[in-house]
Amino acid sequence: MTNVQHTRGTPAIIKKQGNKTLLITWEDGHVSPYSFRYLRQNCPCAGCIDEWTSAKTLNPGSIPLDLEGLKVEPVGGYGLSFSFSDQHATGIYHFDYLREICPCELCRKR
Amino acid sequence: MPVTEKEILAALSRIQDPDFHKDIVTLGFVDHIAVRDSKVGFEIVLPMPLFPVKEKMREEAAGIVKGLSGVSMVDVKMKSEVTGHAATDRAAIPGVKNIVAIGSGKGGVGKSTVSANLAVGLAKYGAKVGLVDGDIYGPTIPIMMGARTEELRQRDGRIIPIEAHGVKFMSMGFLATGNQPLIWRGPMAHKAVQESLLNVDWGPLDYLIVDMPPGTGDVHLTLVQTVALVGAVIVSTPQDVGLTISMKTFRMFEQTKVHPLGIIENMSYHICSHCGEREEIFGHGMVAQESERLKVPFLGEIPLDIAIRKYADQGMPIVIADPEAPSAKAYLEIIERLAAQISIRNYYSKPIQIIEEPEPNPKTFTV
Ligand SMILES: Nc1ncnc2c1ncn2[C@@H]1O[C@H](COP(=O)(O)OP(=O)(O)O)[C@@H](O)[C@H]1O
Ligand SMILES: [Mg+2]
Ligand SMILES: [Zn+2]
Ligand SMILES: [Zn+2]
Repeated sequence: MTNVQHTRGTPAIIKKQGNKTLLITWEDGHVSPYSFRYLRQNCPCAGCIDEWTSAKTLNPGSIPLDLEGLKVEPVGGYGLSFSFSDQHATGIYHFDYLREICPCELCRKR
Repeated sequence: MPVTEKEILAALSRIQDPDFHKDIVTLGFVDHIAVRDSKVGFEIVLPMPLFPVKEKMREEAAGIVKGLSGVSMVDVKMKSEVTGHAATDRAAIPGVKNIVAIGSGKGGVGKSTVSANLAVGLAKYGAKVGLVDGDIYGPTIPIMMGARTEELRQRDGRIIPIEAHGVKFMSMGFLATGNQPLIWRGPMAHKAVQESLLNVDWGPLDYLIVDMPPGTGDVHLTLVQTVALVGAVIVSTPQDVGLTISMKTFRMFEQTKVHPLGIIENMSYHICSHCGEREEIFGHGMVAQESERLKVPFLGEIPLDIAIRKYADQGMPIVIADPEAPSAKAYLEIIERLAAQISIRNYYSKPIQIIEEPEPNPKTFTV
């Protein structure tokens, strides 16, 4: 099943660059540069998102500027989990979700 | 002049693998070519068990090479080295090459019977196979495997699986105490998966078949989060109206990026226990149609045959109890197609790799 949707949400290369940056190159060639702080701010876990309204309960401003990503691990075959320097590690980031929140200029314009 | 290795490879590249639709040289199946004067020997290493149909490939290869000038004798050895799913540390069980989930929309469609027959059938053709009974709403695998009374033993804190008919198996039902029905929710489901899959001393396995609970739920979610599955198989019946129930299960696998290996139609047509005649069942063929629409391989159909149930109840899956029976042959065809689908999946899929490198020249993000 190689449809467009499929390649969009499928990572080709995942690079953890130091403790600040995660770089994902997708099967369709798109490159997403995330800061770990941005990933932490967009944590999809039940503690950071309201289960019913899907609204963010986490105040993004409360995340320190020097927040780091210590560990990146695959979850099954469909996503990633991160251990952040503030001890938070409960979020499972689905690849489709990661693509959706891509912070690159092109994606942010949409 | 003796024949050269190059000439042998060129000749063998005329043989197409029926599952991959590529030639066996390109696929890297040919190995250890040895030429001594006019005698030639080589191996064909297949990424799946050596099913009887593979004898055709051996004969074809021997014939083609024998036809080359300067060759008087050919010795072809068929070997099997089951390929494994490319998964990373946390998402794998050490030594286990392929974890396959068997799911269905609802209970009673024959999912556990299919799981037991697939496992025993794969083992019969030389594969190392494990089987997990995760269908905690009705753990029937121990009965089907003929080992209901055994007690679990441990080695170094890990559960030793029970062995029967060449298959190592483990049931989540073994973990339950008393008679009360168990509903694995959240942390409980996590513990059940942990205990029955990860904390088991499987040893090296080519395939680990997981009989999932019907529908979708916490056990499914935990499973796909904990291990990387090579893919999932869905069992459906013609009565499974419009396949709507199986579709829900299918979508769940799709959302968690579990590769659909195929769909099986069970109780597809009726084999009369008196005359052996085949009778059609209303709705038969819908599953094949649906899998075509979904672009998921149709793995085959199994008849409604009282003998399947009889042998299951006796603890001896029909594929070994009566391998010549038409329904045992139906299972075998499905087993071959499934093993092929798994090896194709492994051939094309890349592992999720996380590369670690130092921070490049300092760059600040504005987010
Ligand atoms: N193809 C078949 N022909 C006849 N009986 C079958 C067939 N497949 C399964 N059964 C029987 O149907 C019942 C339900 O099968 P089971 O494998 O336990 O279903 P599930 O695991 O989907 O709930 C069992 O009694 C089993 O022996
Ligand atoms: Mg069952
Ligand atoms: Zn969170
Ligand atoms: Zn982008």
